[in-house]
Amino acid sequence: MRRLRRRLALAAVAALLLGATQAQDIMLDPEVFEIGNELRCPTCVAESVAESNASIAREMRQIIQEQLDEGRTRGEILAFFQDRYGDWILLSPPRRGMLLLVWLLPVAAVLVAGGGLFLLVRRWRAAADAVMPVAAEDLERVRAALAGAEGRSLAGAEARAPDTDEATPRAPAPRP
Amino acid sequence: MKRVAVVVAIVGGLTALFLFGLLRGAPDRNVPSNLLNRPVPTFDLPVYERYQAEFGPRLDLADHAGRPMVINFWASWCGPCYAEAPFLEAAQRRYGDRVLFIGIQTQERDARAAGRAFIDRFDFTFPNVIDDDSRISIAYGLFGVPETFFVRADGTLDHKHVGPVDAAVLAERVEALLR
Repeated sequence: MRRLRRRLALAAVAALLLGATQAQDIMLDPEVFEIGNELRCPTCVAESVAESNASIAREMRQIIQEQLDEGRTRGEILAFFQDRYGDWILLSPPRRGMLLLVWLLPVAAVLVAGGGLFLLVRRWRAAADAVMPVAAEDLERVRAALAGAEGRSLAGAEARAPDTDEATPRAPAPRP
Repeated sequence: MKRVAVVVAIVGGLTALFLFGLLRGAPDRNVPSNLLNRPVPTFDLPVYERYQAEFGPRLDLADHAGRPMVINFWASWCGPCYAEAPFLEAAQRRYGDRVLFIGIQTQERDARAAGRAFIDRFDFTFPNVIDDDSRISIAYGLFGVPETFFVRADGTLDHKHVGPVDAAVLAERVEALLR
């Protein structure tokens, strides 16, 4: 009784400050909005019963409050609306029948994508580590080419090697 | 080459989806109802003055058990309700001796003057009642207005039509109730 009086007093003050609609909502238990968050507003686009200001959503909040006051459980209240509107009214589809796919498909997609990525990375790493088979004559040609290149580079290095005098920077010629 | 094929496949798929959306025609009005083949919720609602001489100040659905019924939900702010109203009145004049037509003004509170104007405009000869707090529209699982429920003589729901009805829909569904 004291709780009801407090709610009425709060609503009266809110009615003066905010207007009748918001005052009606202040009278409601927080649990009304928790349950309303699980229900779709029938006349709105992408809004829950808790969020919508449509007249039907306000009335549904009122019904939820009345049923809570009567001692009904959250499950019983959701079932009340489900009985009238079907599974459509629930924002979280029930985990049964075809609707189970809504829950399972995202998990399956993540698993398949993860598995695919794992296999792909493993293949890439295996390809990077693998020793490529090379024909013996190809190997010989590469060795010969490398040896030739080595010889040329040594000879070149000798030809370019500076003696000490050459390395000393020359003094600029005196100006006439 | 492979990359071009992938781009063509994606663009082609999206174009096909877009064309499907454009060409699929009018939305399906046969929205399934959870009440289908179940007894419709009963109600006891205040009646507009012009029908009170025949029906009294309130209309209790239970008093009319045993008759097929067409229950139409409307609101004075609803455009499609104006479009369907002449068809409802014509059907009432044609089938009214065998089927009880009931109009329920809903999803608007304390809109008596607007409701009277709506009824007078179409000169409805079937009873119209007021669901001020939208409780009956919730009991019937209403998504919006207009919606029309075709109820068999045994009180179970035969069909629910979402959106405005026309002469063809009314004739087909009412004839089904009378069969």
